[in-house]
Amino acid sequence: MDNMHNDAALAMSSLTLELDHISKVIGNKQLVAPLSLSIAAGQIVALCGGNGAGKSSIIRMIADLSRPSSGSIVLHGTALHEQRDQYLAELGYMPDDYQFTGSFTAYESLKFWAELKQQPVNRVRELLELVGLHETGKKKVHQFSKGMRQRLLLAQALLSKPSLLLLDEPTNGLDPYWMKRFVAIIDEAARGGAIVLFSTHQLQVAEAAADYIVMLDQGEVKLSSSYEQIRLQYGEQGLQRAYEAIFWGEEGAMERVRA
Amino acid sequence: MNHFTTIMKRELKLGFRNPWSYSFLTLFIVFMLSLLLINQQGYASGYSGITGLLMNLTLYLLPLITLMLGSFSLTGEKEDGSAALLYTYRLPVSSWLGGKYAGLLIVLCIIVTIGYGVTGIISSLSTGGFAASTYSLLFLFALLLIMTFLAIAMLVGSLAATRWQALTYVIGIWFFFIIGWSPIMIALLGQLPYLWIKPLLTVLTFVNPAEWIRVYIITTLGGGTIVGPEYYQWITWIRHPSGHFAFVLLILGYTLGFLSLAGWRWKRGSQRG
Repeated sequence: MDNMHNDAALAMSSLTLELDHISKVIGNKQLVAPLSLSIAAGQIVALCGGNGAGKSSIIRMIADLSRPSSGSIVLHGTALHEQRDQYLAELGYMPDDYQFTGSFTAYESLKFWAELKQQPVNRVRELLELVGLHETGKKKVHQFSKGMRQRLLLAQALLSKPSLLLLDEPTNGLDPYWMKRFVAIIDEAARGGAIVLFSTHQLQVAEAAADYIVMLDQGEVKLSSSYEQIRLQYGEQGLQRAYEAIFWGEEGAMERVRA
Repeated sequence: MNHFTTIMKRELKLGFRNPWSYSFLTLFIVFMLSLLLINQQGYASGYSGITGLLMNLTLYLLPLITLMLGSFSLTGEKEDGSAALLYTYRLPVSSWLGGKYAGLLIVLCIIVTIGYGVTGIISSLSTGGFAASTYSLLFLFALLLIMTFLAIAMLVGSLAATRWQALTYVIGIWFFFIIGWSPIMIALLGQLPYLWIKPLLTVLTFVNPAEWIRVYIITTLGGGTIVGPEYYQWITWIRHPSGHFAFVLLILGYTLGFLSLAGWRWKRGSQRG
């Protein structure tokens, strides 16, 4: 009985994304200072910070688009740089800088990605409906608005029901309705056991969606805490106040609160 | 459906939705019809001045178009972020590059087939058209040029980061292989002792697919003497009973060699950064 208990506990504890001292240095410039983070299945983590904070660099390292200068990345016991194929099978990635140039419709684009991920056509229809693009018909993707393209990319990331969902600035260009829907969609993915890690500079999105916040500035972690903890420390609109305290100092933050 | 077929099908769709393909098709048909008109003014069977002109004009046009379409297809994927996204998929480089190569090859071959087909039909209806055997060999010449230069284009596409960079490489390669080859050979080999020239030219010809495909087609058309005594060794090989088989092996080796280099470079490029 004890052994069974231990095995179950071990299995649960291995359902994590472990970032162990990952860093990125190019030449003399440190893009990401050594970062360690352990994210459990079902958790939603937001990487926050301004431009050049290092959010996308971290996401790109986890997506294997850039090799860390040091450290290791392990998902559910699978080391990225040792068992890449196995690791990628668990990954759903939404890039930030994707340009749709081909003359494909939403259905054709998603079907192409689905075929590469060996997903059935039903899954394509299901996801197009989920992101509200099922009625776009023959309209080509390059004619879509930024928000519609973002929703299509989100659907692409969700295709194989990944256990690690990596989203780089997913809410850029989304209107308030779809921002709310985005929160609901990733919440559902997390409840299904996925690890969700997304970057954003929109603090209200991080507040609405994330259980855990990592705030970065020039590649360094300035805050790494659960959202509950931040709220307890900084009160209502805690993330905004934490951000101001970190980047402008306590005084500056208080002045802004008074104003 | 496997990855190779999925990528190839996408490439076919992209190719036929690309306005470039239709511009190229129109250009190619106009070009072929012009040659037909020239041919009607004085026809000789086998290798003649007209077939030589047709071959030379094909040499100017096809490698350039092939190099551009092929390399832009890869650099376009880099520029729009598609290559990076697909790198996060479990997609072998061989399926990715192989699928793209096969798709583009089919698109270009269909364009050239339509061009040759339209001209062939008109030629068969008019007097003074091309002889079927000559025409078939010229068609084969075009297909072989596409096959080899598309493999070079894949390497260019994996080396270049942007379309502009690819265009620079393409113009350079095209100029070196098509326009500059003869003067460069004359200039270089002219500096060497006379006895070195023939063996060295025989070996250097392997570098330039446009050159050895041209020598092969001319020899098969019966015009071997036209290429000059320097190519004696090549002509002897081609006329040998196993010459055609050796030529097929050379084509396959060259194409697969460049595709492998492109794959290696693509993989290496993806792992950097």
